[in-house]
Amino acid sequence: MAPPKRLLIVDDNEDILSTFYEFFNSLGYEVKTAVDGFAALKVLRDKPDYFDCLITDLVMPNISGVGLIAIVKKEYPDLKIIAMTGYGDQPGALASEAEADLVLFKPIDLFKIEAKVSELIGQNDE
Amino acid sequence: MSTPLIGVSNSILKIKELINHVANTCLNVLITGETGVGKEVVAHNLYAESPRAQNSFVKINCAALPETLLESELYGYEKGAFTGAHKKRHGKFLTADQGVLFLDEIGDMPLTLQSKMLHVLQSGEFSPLGSDQDFKTDVWVIAATNQNLEERIQNKSFREDLYYRLNIIKIDIPPLRKRKEDIPALIEYYFRLYRSEYPTGHGIKPDADTLAKLTAYHWPGNVRQLQNCIKKQMVLNDWGKILEELPEDPEAAPRVSRENDTQNSDALFPNEANSERMKIISEFVDLSTSSEKLFEDISLKKIKKLASDKVEKEVITFVLDKVGWNRSRAAKILKVSYKTLLYKMSEFDVHPPMK
Repeated sequence: MAPPKRLLIVDDNEDILSTFYEFFNSLGYEVKTAVDGFAALKVLRDKPDYFDCLITDLVMPNISGVGLIAIVKKEYPDLKIIAMTGYGDQPGALASEAEADLVLFKPIDLFKIEAKVSELIGQNDE
Repeated sequence: MSTPLIGVSNSILKIKELINHVANTCLNVLITGETGVGKEVVAHNLYAESPRAQNSFVKINCAALPETLLESELYGYEKGAFTGAHKKRHGKFLTADQGVLFLDEIGDMPLTLQSKMLHVLQSGEFSPLGSDQDFKTDVWVIAATNQNLEERIQNKSFREDLYYRLNIIKIDIPPLRKRKEDIPALIEYYFRLYRSEYPTGHGIKPDADTLAKLTAYHWPGNVRQLQNCIKKQMVLNDWGKILEELPEDPEAAPRVSRENDTQNSDALFPNEANSERMKIISEFVDLSTSSEKLFEDISLKKIKKLASDKVEKEVITFVLDKVGWNRSRAAKILKVSYKTLLYKMSEFDVHPPMK
């Protein structure tokens, strides 16, 4: 059996974090969470090459999602990144510019995002 | 020479750690915090720890210059671009190439310049005033403001797109009153610094009681205000007076208003209040003349000059006395030129004591 896929989910809203955690956990993913970009960066630098996919909100204190994506794409180019943002937010465009693999607009359908995750990670395996 | 970020509070330690993690990324940074908290110190620390530390750190204050001047300072101009442009001048975007451009008070940048700034940040290109040539520039933009930019976006005086482009990394420095544990460390640091700058300063460090009072104070002007107090202590060596002169805390309003009440009741005896007032006035106006003549004599301009002369004379004498009548050192402490000091000494008839 293949090892579980590992996700890092970043959002400054604890409710969203726990919802995502429960959902992906129940589908057999190994999930870690971080409350802002800085916390996420520390987790990533602590365990480089550990995660398969990063799902991040964009508007957060200290290191924003856009900043996190820019740093991660430079330091860990293989890590897949999904950005989530409120509809019509400016940061969406910046996230694409920072080369997020996918930018999704809130509200987000969990099943849809899971499909995207497995699609992205699947591509990685081939 | 760059000032280290002084402090032991969690927020300062976290900022140091953040600087450490992001200085090598050269992503746009927005530094926020009240006036005097040390936004420029943080910017300088980012620069010093970055791969750009060997290149230039260029600062511009967006609030200090009128719009057209700010534009030509940022982008430069060609000869003949406008009346008075006698020769070509490089803008800060060019002088900061490969280095850091620190945009202080970004919240005060006029809207028209905000769109131009956004364009440069997006494309890395700009053209000087009066030029049709585009220049490519690679600057690391660090911006700072004491304003609430979210609010300014709401009332349409700050561009949302520019905000998000600057706000890739945000460093918020809390006011000093919310990190009181940093106060003793700051006092220690600046004491040592000013003592080396003014070796003749006689000010002694605060004792435990004074330190407790300084730590309890709310510091509306933050670190800068604290620095000024320590400088003042170097010259005055009188903590009691310095504490007394600190503006009161509006938060402590209930207690203060009670104090005011007692003052007001004092004012019910107009003689007392009046006598104090008359005492001050009599120093500058001859009150023994008729009221008609008196009113002729009173002129704010004249009194201002008399009052400021009187205080200046005392301060000059005091400082000269402290530095053993070394006039060039006194001029340095008073932050006036040597010539000005000599002029004032003769104007106020200040002489060294006879030996």
